[in-house]
Amino acid sequence: MLLLLIWLFPLVGGVLLWAFGPQLRSWAGPIGSALIGVPFVAAVMLWGDATTGAGLNLHLVSWLSGWAFGLQLDRLSLVWTLIITGVGFLIHVYSMGYMDGDRAYARFFAYMNFFVFAMLTLVLSDNVVGLLVGWGLVGLASYFLIGFWFERPSAVAAARKAFVMNVVGDVGIMFAVFIIVAKVGSIGYADIFARFATAFTQQELFLVCLGLFIGCAAKSAQIPLHTWLPDAMEGPTPVSALIHAATMVTAGVYLIARFAPLWSASADAQELVGVIGALTAIAGAILGCAQWDIKRILAYSTMSQIGYMIMGVGVGAYDAGVFHFLTHAFFKAQLFLGAGIVIHALANEQDVRRMGGLWRRLPFAFIAMAVGVLAICGIPGFSGYFSKDAVIYGALVTGHPWLYAVGVITAGITAYYMFRLLFVTFLGAYRGEVDPSDLGIRHPELAGTAASSGHHPEEEEPHHHAPSWLMSVPVGILIVPSILIGWLDAGGANAPWQRFFAGFFPRVAEVAPPLGELASTGLVLAVVAIGIGVAYVRYGTRAAHAGAVARLRGETIHMPRVLVNAYYFDAAYDALLVRPARAVGAWFVRVFDPHVLDAAVREVAISAQWLGHLFRSFQTGLVRAYALSLAFGVVCVVAYYAFAFGVGR
Amino acid sequence: MTVSPESYVALSAVLFFIGVVGVIARRNPLIMLMSIELLFNAANLALVAYARAWVNNTGHVFAFLVITVAAAEAAIGLAIVTMTFRRSAHVDVDEVSALRG
Amino acid sequence: MIVTALVLGPIVIGLALYAVPRERIVLVRIIAAAVAALAFALAAYDPAAPDASLRWLSRPFVASFHLGFNPISFWIVLLLALVTFGAALALNGPRARNIAVQLLVLQGAMNGLFLAKDLLLFALFWDLMLLPVFLVLLDGGPHAHAAWKYLIYNLAGGLALLLATAAFGMVSGSTDVLYDPNAHIAIGIVWGTWIFAGFAFAFLIKTPVFPFHTWMPDTYAELPTPMVAVVSAVQSKAGLYGLIVICSVFFRPEMLQARTLMFVLGAIALIYGALASLAERDTKRIVAYSSLSHLGLILLAVFTGSQLAIQGAVVYIVAHGLFSAALFLVLGAVEQREETRDLLRLGGLGSRNPKLAGALVIGALAALGLPGLAGFAGEILILTGLFSAGVVWPALVGLIAVILASAYMLRLFQGVMNGPDVPDLPERRDMTWLEGFAIAPLVIAFLALGVDPGPITSLTIGAHTAAPVNVSAR
Repeated sequence: MLLLLIWLFPLVGGVLLWAFGPQLRSWAGPIGSALIGVPFVAAVMLWGDATTGAGLNLHLVSWLSGWAFGLQLDRLSLVWTLIITGVGFLIHVYSMGYMDGDRAYARFFAYMNFFVFAMLTLVLSDNVVGLLVGWGLVGLASYFLIGFWFERPSAVAAARKAFVMNVVGDVGIMFAVFIIVAKVGSIGYADIFARFATAFTQQELFLVCLGLFIGCAAKSAQIPLHTWLPDAMEGPTPVSALIHAATMVTAGVYLIARFAPLWSASADAQELVGVIGALTAIAGAILGCAQWDIKRILAYSTMSQIGYMIMGVGVGAYDAGVFHFLTHAFFKAQLFLGAGIVIHALANEQDVRRMGGLWRRLPFAFIAMAVGVLAICGIPGFSGYFSKDAVIYGALVTGHPWLYAVGVITAGITAYYMFRLLFVTFLGAYRGEVDPSDLGIRHPELAGTAASSGHHPEEEEPHHHAPSWLMSVPVGILIVPSILIGWLDAGGANAPWQRFFAGFFPRVAEVAPPLGELASTGLVLAVVAIGIGVAYVRYGTRAAHAGAVARLRGETIHMPRVLVNAYYFDAAYDALLVRPARAVGAWFVRVFDPHVLDAAVREVAISAQWLGHLFRSFQTGLVRAYALSLAFGVVCVVAYYAFAFGVGR
Repeated sequence: MTVSPESYVALSAVLFFIGVVGVIARRNPLIMLMSIELLFNAANLALVAYARAWVNNTGHVFAFLVITVAAAEAAIGLAIVTMTFRRSAHVDVDEVSALRG
Repeated sequence: MIVTALVLGPIVIGLALYAVPRERIVLVRIIAAAVAALAFALAAYDPAAPDASLRWLSRPFVASFHLGFNPISFWIVLLLALVTFGAALALNGPRARNIAVQLLVLQGAMNGLFLAKDLLLFALFWDLMLLPVFLVLLDGGPHAHAAWKYLIYNLAGGLALLLATAAFGMVSGSTDVLYDPNAHIAIGIVWGTWIFAGFAFAFLIKTPVFPFHTWMPDTYAELPTPMVAVVSAVQSKAGLYGLIVICSVFFRPEMLQARTLMFVLGAIALIYGALASLAERDTKRIVAYSSLSHLGLILLAVFTGSQLAIQGAVVYIVAHGLFSAALFLVLGAVEQREETRDLLRLGGLGSRNPKLAGALVIGALAALGLPGLAGFAGEILILTGLFSAGVVWPALVGLIAVILASAYMLRLFQGVMNGPDVPDLPERRDMTWLEGFAIAPLVIAFLALGVDPGPITSLTIGAHTAAPVNVSAR
């Protein structure tokens, strides 16, 4: 019963706020937050039930035999449920401050509640079609929230792009469902895991994993389906924090962890996922170095960090991957919310080139961001240190030295661009009054920054005030787990995290690592230190601050084109898919239908008309002519009978 | 003395032929109507003659039917002729060709 | 009794509506909506209502005025009543009364079509249901071109259907055979092919399937909103229904022979409709082309013939009826306000008409197969059924169509509702209660069916375990 409550409360909130938003006015925020907070408490209360045996189960409806839908709360979904509702609650509270004064205040909370409902559907479902339903619904919620300010064409386009790319992922999962239903005959997880070993051939197993992974790649922004994530930053910042950092984009990690038995049985699938994850990690990190929009930097870092998680669960280090999700949810949410405070305070300025020296004006945001940066870089003691190390080392233990190497290098790059973000934003002198062109910003709109044109068309006056307590308290709360949550995995096999998931995931064959765990940690820290050092030299020193304007201008102008265009993925999709599809469709509508198909039918009609003209000439209108032809007919008939019967007699 | 059926049928054929020629050759609508009347009665004559010859009343029945139709035809035909006369003074059916395709 | 009332009632009341003065639009609306609601109640009251049967011909073959429910037609009759209800509430303008008449006649005729258990009766109602649509199109004055196109295409199909029915009767001795488990029909191979071809020709034009589809965008664009909702929702299903209850029962070998061709046509329709929707500018024509795409999917399912695929097909038939009607009603409301259907002219209505935007987005989401709505349930059952039956490449084409559907449906929605405000559009008020009332039942229905299509799938199971029995008797 409590499980049903956890699942449905956010839906109730979504529907209520959507239908009665205008009447509820400023009550929408508290109601929306409460309807997320209550499920969090309920989920905590269900901890005991969920962690005993196979967890809680609840049957809902059945479409056909083999198509039974229900809810399931086990250890894995419990972790996700707690994060979704817990972090979700904090972000809802934050949004009350951030969205204050927006004309569509209630609508925002309706969408956010609906998102939480969709995400819970995804993680609580006990079958793959239910998961697909949640998968599609989170995509929808994401669509609504990216396109929240739907008067802006860029937001509308970004929303559509995100949705369509996510549907590509849905379709991948549908493909996996086909094979599962055809071979296993049931959509329930329990049935699948019980029967897959005998039901699937190795090839079919790989195809199932491939289909599922297409879903992951689209949802979790893995190469080559990642291009929607940076654009998704068009949405309000709390949305970026909740959906595009903490929860939705990590659904791919959940999916692979959920289907761990399948992955463990298919070496090819593991290889594929591991490689794509590593590739995404490093590609995202490199792009992160080339961005100037504070949210896009964070977006690429999210992409890169999810690459880590995917690599982790891909190579079989499931608990490490899930653990990195857990820590990432906290520190990335905190980074985004911190960035939100900055954006809010600067009247929607998002370009870091036009920031600088903000630590004096926004000390709280500086601390929050600094903690987040330290965590994401994996500085010892902070949460990221534990989880990222576990993922990187997991690649080595399971016998993927190349992936390990990529992971280590990415850690260094991550340290570089995150500290670059921190230094450029908060240190030095404020550059908001500098002419944009001096900073190399030629077209603020085209450079991927929304600059001074204003983000909230609905808002009458820009906010120049310090963050309200509604915004700072959630960030303050998030600082605690950002630092401490990592300690759950401290202490080797006896760590609480290890005991929590003991026996839950299938064990993967381990190889003797060429490097000890301590040595590996030392290596990673060394690389990270190099990254930080480079960032410090370029952006952190007193000399760098002095020449910041000229330096940023030079960097902007000399930025490699391939990075500015994000490896030309968008251009390629546009040229290879979007334009051809439009052109062919237009040809169908304007040429083929009217001038080929209709023309063929017209030809038939014209020939009928020609026959009509022929027969028309007989209709002279002269009565006597008719009479003559009548008589002629009579003669013919008589002659026929005369010949047929008369002659024969 | 009895007249043989052949004679009746021959007379009927002659009448019919006269009627046909009248319809085709004459251009006066009234004459054409009369010729049509002639056609009907030629047919009637043949029907009655055959009915007599084969001792079967069906022919008589049809003769009555034809008489009825002929009456109706005459009524409508005359009405049409009257209407065309009113619209124009022509008495030539070739001039009335509104139904030309 | 009930079934006869469902057929004759709307026709008689519809014709009687001519007695109502033209300007009493509200009265017309109430009467038409009441008839539809009554039809819904009657049908839902007793799914097991007894058949009405009256011998009609015994030579040259047996034919009866035989009406009765079957598990598929039950749902379609309910769907029709629901859609007619919404359409009746959307009646508006100076032609409202005349459209209402034709709407009710159409409802009666289509009830007759779906309830017919006699092939000859089926064929007669087939032609009868074309008439109201044709008359409404003709009445539109400048749209006469679309009217003739509609009539010629569909009558060509109707002629083929009539000939095939007559031939069927001559060969088998009876046309009173639909859903009759005792009917043992033996049609030789030679005749079977030709008769099947006749039926299939009619059904493919009506559905429509590429390359017979060009009448559809014109018809849908020119029909007034209430009429187009009914035509797209229900009339377009007549062909698919015929394929399921006639062809897949009596012509199973021929269906198997024609399979590859039909898969190709269905796949072309799927992609062709989707790409055309992506490029079209007229809102109603976008939905028309999207129908081409969606119905292609059902065609694939029907010719696959596996139980799962057919169940999915029936779910999707109902689902498509619900969401296409809702889409047309909303787009009609938009057109009535803004006096244009051009996507390039429209835009930015969302901020002024949030309720209308909400209605349109729900319809569009159902159409693009959002999980949790009825369209998804049908889609995934069909595609899974296809794949399970070994029909792999059409299933993959279906997946591509799913992706394209999300692109064109969002383009439609965003083109109308999103983006900056367009200043030169006439400013009108948001969705009225009446319009909301027309759409609400449809939305509720496809929400409910999306969560649990169980009622439909459980009923049609019986239908299709029964169907092959007849075939085995051949």
